[in-house]
Amino acid sequence: MELELDDDQRTLQETVRGIIAKECTPAFVRAVIEDGLDPSPWWDTMVGLYWPALAIAEDVGGLGMTWIELAILLEELGHAVDPSPYLATTTQFVPIVRRCGDAAQAARWLGGVAAGGITGALALGEHTVRATADDGGWRLDGSVAYVVDADRADEIAVVATAHDGVGVYVVERASAGAALTIDPIPVFDHTTHIAGLSLEGVVVSGDRRLGGSDLAEGIAVAVEEATLGWSVVTVGACQRILELVVDHVKQRHQFGVPIGSFQAVKHKAVDMYVAIQRARAIAQYAALTFVEDDPRRSIAVSMAKVAAGDCQEVVLRNGVQLFGGMGFTWENDLHIALRRAKLCVTMFGSTIEHRRRVARDALLGEGAA
Amino acid sequence: MKLQFPAEAEAVRAEFSAWLDANTPSVAEATVRPRSTADSPPWARRFQCAMFDAGWLLPGQPPEFGGRNASLLEQFVIEEELMRRRVYHSFNPQGLSIIAPSILMFGTPQQKATWAVPVLRGEKTAALGMSEPGAGSDLAGLRTRAVADGEGYVVNGQKVWTSGAHDSDFILAFVRTDPDVPKHKGISALIIPTATPGVTCRPFGSICSKDDHDFNEVFFDDAFVPAENLVGNLNNGWHVATGTLGEERAMLWLSNYERLDDVINNFGARVRGTELADDPLTQDWYGRLLVDAMALRLLGYQSVAKTASGHDPAEQSILKLFGSEAAHEATNRALETLGPLALDHTIDSAPYNHMNLDQFSASWFDRYCRSFAVTIAGGTSEIQRNIIAERILGLPR
Repeated sequence: MELELDDDQRTLQETVRGIIAKECTPAFVRAVIEDGLDPSPWWDTMVGLYWPALAIAEDVGGLGMTWIELAILLEELGHAVDPSPYLATTTQFVPIVRRCGDAAQAARWLGGVAAGGITGALALGEHTVRATADDGGWRLDGSVAYVVDADRADEIAVVATAHDGVGVYVVERASAGAALTIDPIPVFDHTTHIAGLSLEGVVVSGDRRLGGSDLAEGIAVAVEEATLGWSVVTVGACQRILELVVDHVKQRHQFGVPIGSFQAVKHKAVDMYVAIQRARAIAQYAALTFVEDDPRRSIAVSMAKVAAGDCQEVVLRNGVQLFGGMGFTWENDLHIALRRAKLCVTMFGSTIEHRRRVARDALLGEGAA
Repeated sequence: MKLQFPAEAEAVRAEFSAWLDANTPSVAEATVRPRSTADSPPWARRFQCAMFDAGWLLPGQPPEFGGRNASLLEQFVIEEELMRRRVYHSFNPQGLSIIAPSILMFGTPQQKATWAVPVLRGEKTAALGMSEPGAGSDLAGLRTRAVADGEGYVVNGQKVWTSGAHDSDFILAFVRTDPDVPKHKGISALIIPTATPGVTCRPFGSICSKDDHDFNEVFFDDAFVPAENLVGNLNNGWHVATGTLGEERAMLWLSNYERLDDVINNFGARVRGTELADDPLTQDWYGRLLVDAMALRLLGYQSVAKTASGHDPAEQSILKLFGSEAAHEATNRALETLGPLALDHTIDSAPYNHMNLDQFSASWFDRYCRSFAVTIAGGTSEIQRNIIAERILGLPR
């Protein structure tokens, strides 16, 4: 197994780090949180760098890279606690269109994302949204809770059930009018947008119903990509916390010595580090299963979510503790990364759910059930 | 990045796999069981010698030392294949993996021929004399003394935790040869035959059983060791102790992976089809175990790749710490989940495997107890955490 980044991937990682250090600084993120600064210019910068196009196929205008490169970027964005619509657009909207859309739809929306024209979201309403045929188009009724970026994405891919089964309908937020109600939630992570979606007779044209084959499988895999996206972002946020903590315990003196020289402190820091290594290794493995279309993909994604969930638990507990009182202040950037890391366990299945899924697959042979 | 090994490495694996199919001893041949890690039964010695002759035993070595000059990746797939089959290539693991390679790395041609090759061919077994009553984690503080006397050294002192010493032909012992310099700089490595007058090996029972005799106290009372038994330069023993494992160290994590995989398989087989398989709490820890095993394997592969490309694997400490603690957690959970089913300590927790160490199929309680050996031996978890904190995170000493 070759599980090391190659030279190109390492170069990408360094480039991304360099750009983020200049353009998505802690001060910028804090201004988004405290002053409501609009993060759009940062998104425009990313568009200018072709970052949304990274893992989109070349034939629709993307850069044609893989989940490995996407994961490199997502980890760094997690590290910075990126306030942009990057995560939902690239790991939720893009996968659902790619896996469920036909060629024309891929060109339209994936091409749109790659060109930087649109952002997207994914609303999983299989059991809560009904689609009915309506004069050549479709009418959507129902609601979906907790949709990432529903309040700011240009296009929302809504999974809904029609008379002929489950389908995906791409709703243009701006043109849906009063039939679409969006209720943003005041999320504890102030840099992530999550909203509830109510559709009361939202009408979409026929060409906005994704026309690929095997939609159920496509939706399932897109959800796996979304789940992996959260996992990778969590690793990045945890890495940030470890770095903050290591700097702190090297500088903070008590009893005449740096507190980082105490074994009790060292050992907690090491447990954070090991948890991150474990989570990163499994996230990379899961990303590789997408690249190689490996049959272990589905369970690998659950493992990545488990390892990320375990990781944030250790990193947040030890991280705040090692900062002492300073970890309890608003001024410290620790809580900004803490919020992003903690958000992970609330989205796309809890750690325990995924852990049990991994176990059930092994003990009961339930496969991807 | 790729999930597969290169084709050349897989070709070596296939060749070795075919060799094992043809040469692994049968159950009937392997009825005599070892009683310690230096008590290799005749059938095991014959198998080990066959591995030596075929160049599979220490594949990274040249043919005269039981190898085939294999690359690190090739060595790894060979180790992995042995692990996958639960085949022990030696029932004197320290002799094979630590002592013989040390002598091959630091010894004279005559020492290689007299001590290393016989260990590799299964003709002699060896024990490693490192820890002392007063020198455990602080190994460099060891006090067993060797004083130059004519054509050799007179050794006095005591070792402890010396695995298999009472069944071994010789001990590779680390002794103090200069008490007047900083402690790391006054240590030498000596080959001490256990038949030497003044050497007494006293095995003692372990946490598992009063009759589980692998560990020894070894006493040296004016034991005379010829000068030709000095391995490496005088006072260079610390270098021998730390440099011994070298590339072999890149694969030590495999044994912890094996422990995890054993619990996964044996516990899984035990509960599949019972209501425990559907128990949410069981699924919770068992899911964690599966993730731990996968993570250990992935991190292990990464460290092999790093070592192969010439990087210093400080990661070994992570693998040791993480793998051993995961193994402890797994055995602890398995025992608790099985409840009364785990009570009888004479019932093996796994199907009998004649090529494996018997302790790997021992009772759940036995396995639980033995998991402590892994978090303590070879540098405790606490020492590993100190190493990681200082060498990787850069925290002050």
